[in-house]
Amino acid sequence: MVVSSIVNISFKAIKQAALVAAVLLPGPLFAEQMESAHDLMARMAKASRELNYSGVFTYEHRGNLTSAKLIHEVREGKIYERLLHMDGTQRDAVSRSDNLDCLRTGDMLLRGNAYKINNENYSRLKDFYEFHIKDDGRIANRQVSMVHVLPRDKYRYGYVVAIDKESGLLLQSVLMSHTGKPLERFQFVDISIGESRPEMDSQIKGNQFGNIDQADCVESNRKVDIPQSMWQLSWLPPGFVLASYQSPGEDGQESLMYTDGLAVFSVFIDSVQGNTLPPVDAKLGATVAVLTKADINGHQYAICVVGEIPRGTANQVASAIGLAP
Amino acid sequence: MSDHKERLEQSLSALMDGEATEMETHRLLKAVAQDRQLRDRWTRYHMASATIKGEPATTSIDYSAAISAAIDQEPAHRRSALTVFAGSAGRFAIAASVALVAVFGVQQLNSPAGTSLINDSGAISEFAGVETAAENTGPAIQFPSGFQPTINARTVSVGGNNKTSLRTAPGLDVQQAQQQITQQYSEAELRAYLNNVMTKHSSHAALNSNQGMLPFARLSEVGGQEESQGAGEAVSEKE
Repeated sequence: MVVSSIVNISFKAIKQAALVAAVLLPGPLFAEQMESAHDLMARMAKASRELNYSGVFTYEHRGNLTSAKLIHEVREGKIYERLLHMDGTQRDAVSRSDNLDCLRTGDMLLRGNAYKINNENYSRLKDFYEFHIKDDGRIANRQVSMVHVLPRDKYRYGYVVAIDKESGLLLQSVLMSHTGKPLERFQFVDISIGESRPEMDSQIKGNQFGNIDQADCVESNRKVDIPQSMWQLSWLPPGFVLASYQSPGEDGQESLMYTDGLAVFSVFIDSVQGNTLPPVDAKLGATVAVLTKADINGHQYAICVVGEIPRGTANQVASAIGLAP
Repeated sequence: MSDHKERLEQSLSALMDGEATEMETHRLLKAVAQDRQLRDRWTRYHMASATIKGEPATTSIDYSAAISAAIDQEPAHRRSALTVFAGSAGRFAIAASVALVAVFGVQQLNSPAGTSLINDSGAISEFAGVETAAENTGPAIQFPSGFQPTINARTVSVGGNNKTSLRTAPGLDVQQAQQQITQQYSEAELRAYLNNVMTKHSSHAALNSNQGMLPFARLSEVGGQEESQGAGEAVSEKE
């Protein structure tokens, strides 16, 4: 009896040793394979902010393909970004962030940190997504780790992302519907990393980056200090937290922005504009827009939920908005 | 069993999102014919959706039982018929009638004012209708520009939307054409509004989603189409 169990154990040990050996065999890849998906995502969040890179990527949805050139540079603790559309009408977008260390809610969540919703509750990315590291691949002539990000509920979509092994940059991101159909895809075609682009000099000096409004940094207490809105959502898809708030401007529009670390949706409330518009469900690629009307205290408001979220979620959010008590 | 059920429920919400595969749709239709609970859930989804859209939620009448009963009443499909063939035909008819109801639901959700509701030409063309509807929400090749609004049936007149006009016969009567002109105005306004919120959303997303400026790429059509939109649409609408 005793002998047989010892034999058993030694067999198990041999089996385990064989397994470990099998895993070890690829050699140099071993360390990276052991890097958890969470570490990868955290590295990605850091790399996309702190590295210099420039490249051309494509954006595809429903058979529609466009391309854009992206330049991302960090100089003296400031981040400069420029995105130039390569087709259609000439247009670009610029962004400047003056504080490299300013983390946004999304960064925070993606880096695996818990985000304080209130005194009792914390939101964590891994509570709402499963991460699976898949085979290696090659994107933009670079070795990448493929990660499947699966939603744990029906309130959000999943992703297939490709992360550059060397730098940790996101080289491909495919948004997947619940039935496993790709809804949109970002993919770099060519990228150079770690180099400074000379053409940025004149653009920075020429102050082309102007005054871009600064998003809300997450404070050390891990809560964004956001001015109180008169609006409140009585229901939020689990895991989503308020990341920024824009108080009503001259056009009478205010907006609230929510994220779970990966998905983002915005809620716009219009007191003036939009009253003449019909209620509508619109879709652009993976982005849905649900426009509804609300009659509150005799005043008509147009409420529009926009985001890369399932339509059901957007509808639920739209119907959950009301005045804060 | 409960796993199966869960899958069905997932398929159902996929269907409501217009994302169900053909396989899933078939499975759902099969299941919904027998599963009262699932049918109720489906009805609830539609009511919720109707409520959100500001339609009166009176669509909760379940015709399927009445239709099945009516079919059973029909001599040709009566269960007491001797041949196996008749029995299977009856089952098919029930499935088809449930399919019809289901298809109506999908149409109401995905397409503007009563296109296929009016066009009452049997199950096969209804299925074809679903396919066109699915296709129309899809290929941007047909609509290279921006949002494709699915305007609520309540607020918008028949024939307003691109999708409808694509499916209507070439010979439009004057009344419809006129409606299209007024419709176009509000559609342009609507597009402007949607483009505006889309742009703002993208800059929000760029700041907060870790994708850096990638979300701005989503704006390529939206931004680009603003000038060319009017003319391009007018053409596609009149075809």
